[in-house]
Amino acid sequence: MGRVVGIDLGTTFSLIAYMDQRTNEPKCIRGPYDSPLCPSIVSAKLDGKVIVGEPARRRLLTHPARTIYSVKRLMGRGVADVQDELKLFPFRIDPDGGNVIRVRLGEKLFTPPEISAYILRELKSWAENHFKETVDRAVITVPAYFNDAQRQATKDAGRIAGLDVLRLVNEPTAAALAYGLHKQKRGRVAVYDFGGGTFDISVLKLVATGEGDIYQVLSTNGDTHLGGDDIDNALLDLARKEIHAQFGIKLDPRGEAVQELRKELIRVKHELSAENETVVQFPLGPKGMYVRTIGRTEFEALIQPIIARTMTPVKMALADAKFVPADIEEVVLVGGSTRIPVVRKTVGDYFHRPPHCELDPDQVVALGAAVQADILESGVKTMLLLDVTPLSLGIETMGGVVAKIIPRNSTIPASAQEMFTTGVEKQTAIDVHVLQGERELAKDCRSLSRFQLKVAPGPAGLARVEVKFLIDANGILQVAARDLRTNEQQTVEVQPSYGLSDGEIERMLEESLEFAERDISERQLIEARNEAETILQATIKTLGDPRARELSAEESTEIQESIARLRVAMVGTDYKLIRDKIDGLNEATMHLAEMLMNSTLQSALQGKRLEDV
Amino acid sequence: MPQAGQHEHSIERMSVTQTQAERTAASQCWSCKALARGGHFCVSCGKIQPLPRGTDYFAFFGLPQKVGLDEGAFEERFHKLSWKLHPDNFVRTGEYERSLSLERSSELNDAYRTLRDPLSRVEYLLEHLGIRKEGTTKQQAPPELLEEVFELNESLDELREAKAEGGDTANMRERLAAAEKNFQQKLDEVDAELAGLGREWDAALDAKADDAPKKAVLARMNEVLNRRSYIRNLVFGVQKELAEA
Repeated sequence: MGRVVGIDLGTTFSLIAYMDQRTNEPKCIRGPYDSPLCPSIVSAKLDGKVIVGEPARRRLLTHPARTIYSVKRLMGRGVADVQDELKLFPFRIDPDGGNVIRVRLGEKLFTPPEISAYILRELKSWAENHFKETVDRAVITVPAYFNDAQRQATKDAGRIAGLDVLRLVNEPTAAALAYGLHKQKRGRVAVYDFGGGTFDISVLKLVATGEGDIYQVLSTNGDTHLGGDDIDNALLDLARKEIHAQFGIKLDPRGEAVQELRKELIRVKHELSAENETVVQFPLGPKGMYVRTIGRTEFEALIQPIIARTMTPVKMALADAKFVPADIEEVVLVGGSTRIPVVRKTVGDYFHRPPHCELDPDQVVALGAAVQADILESGVKTMLLLDVTPLSLGIETMGGVVAKIIPRNSTIPASAQEMFTTGVEKQTAIDVHVLQGERELAKDCRSLSRFQLKVAPGPAGLARVEVKFLIDANGILQVAARDLRTNEQQTVEVQPSYGLSDGEIERMLEESLEFAERDISERQLIEARNEAETILQATIKTLGDPRARELSAEESTEIQESIARLRVAMVGTDYKLIRDKIDGLNEATMHLAEMLMNSTLQSALQGKRLEDV
Repeated sequence: MPQAGQHEHSIERMSVTQTQAERTAASQCWSCKALARGGHFCVSCGKIQPLPRGTDYFAFFGLPQKVGLDEGAFEERFHKLSWKLHPDNFVRTGEYERSLSLERSSELNDAYRTLRDPLSRVEYLLEHLGIRKEGTTKQQAPPELLEEVFELNESLDELREAKAEGGDTANMRERLAAAEKNFQQKLDEVDAELAGLGREWDAALDAKADDAPKKAVLARMNEVLNRRSYIRNLVFGVQKELAEA
């Protein structure tokens, strides 16, 4: 078995973290661009190869039709659900896919879990590079307000990426865990998590017990389609209108220019968190340049409606926990959008206390996930998370009305048993429709699954089928049915309404393994070349050292030939050959290295500085 | 064509005197075959045990079937049991133990949710003892409230009419707000009555009273509960109408 990690699969950025066993603290792993943040952007190259993260972000401008961002907004949703999204985001959705979302990237179509799996695989490779070991199990975080289908889609993404998903943990809960651990605090805590694409609020109680600390979530609420993206869109909307008015240019919302403009506006947004005023500058080719000064006050007025939208869930979560704002002892801020001063002020004013932001709001969720991963992996439990289901679970009854069977904010795992019978004579199957949501009518709730219970034909009302609905610790629904007359257990296939079947996931997993092999050999080639470059430069530098003159002619020739052989190998694509020639050069320079080492040692003993030798 | 299912709620009916211990005393540990005694874990080998059918929420927490509850001790017990039964503890065990943990921890949380709230606790007690059928509260107006309910419904109709015609609603809103306050007060009275009956029931249990007087208390509790649910719906209705006006 390989290593276990915690992953924050975010709308804008994703992170991977692990528990450092020496310091007993969670740590984020940095990627090849020396940042722990991996942009959640995926791009398909012309040769079919898929790239992720920073290099994909650079292609957002050059190859917008082959690049996708904010795919998290599509997870676990049907085409009908995302019509609003399509107006604002340049997703290229396959029109022939029915209600199942498939996104076009270049020549190929991908489901949202497949795209997310690319991001997960990239992070996995960061960790594998870091540990020099395989990583095969993970705790992945999801917005607390994600429904069953969105959770299922996230779990599917993990499987496609070759990860055994030990647990899905709610993002604010993970943040609370990292925070509680860091501060050693107890009491009533509210976590306000305003990320790139989702908003969550969770109210928790941190209790110390004889066994260890318990993080009990009392209530959660949120909006899975509210985030920093919406702030960008508000700015974009303003700029596009002004550009149209001033220059008569109508920017195509899916074109390259808009991506460029969005990038500039994100820069402006970030700058306004520190400065009182900044200037938008956007070249419009021969027509000139859109130049616009924007002050913090104007910016705050522009985003006020978006911030106001976060406060409704906050109030509902508090009411559900039976608290008033003054009951909350600590407020923790999570997510990049909480860097905006007016967001901090709004939250602080509401709770009458300054919120905590000393932990990096970008990293705190991944750190919490790593803590939970370590607990599950090591079996040494020092704390326990008790989370809740964000939405009520219900079944459709006569007249399209929903009967709630597990109320929202129930601690999970949670279950409910219901008895079903037949309505007419000779009926052989009973339809069951499971939904999630707070509304009274089935048509207003999210359809999770429809399934049929088989019954032996008989008079109406004779059949007795007991169905057990169970929401597991991941917030995912399981269903089991038992015919009470025959005492037979029925297997119920709970197929998420717009989800992937097991067969599809298997196929994607197989494909991904093929890709993975290709990816690994490519990575090994890059690594071997980098290492070769390093040793070449070091050798050449050393050969210039005066002490190298003491080498015999034979030795010098051998080194020169080894260098030449390595250079030839580096042009090729066989990483094993490169490794072989690296070893050859190492061997040839062994004596030289010893000579230098000895003289360095001597000079050190003489108390001289290295440069003086 | 399959027909839409009719669903009804399942309630295990049992007599007032039957206890958890009697139903599960004979069970054997699935792992070491020792007598498991119906606890969460085998006393002999410590393995988690399957949940017997018809376990009741009170017994799960090791509580008597009382209306009164020491909330602090209840929370503490919930945390203790969570610590032991939560699926986190069974990530590395076999599939069967994992399924037992899921079964027991979900039952724990279901019991916690039900017993924590005083009202749902009484409802559960009555359902569990076969006095009340879930989801079948009588929707008839209690006789002593008939006149007031009639007036209220009239006011509601007038408000709806005025709203539809775009007329002035301020006057009617005031009347409705007063009615809401009145019914809210009745709700408080009913709650006090229910609490009194709860104490009576608990005392009867402590005194090991006969079944007949105990059943009488339960029946009265059920009546009060029906009345409460009726008034609660009225208040909800008025609040909804006022919020929309």
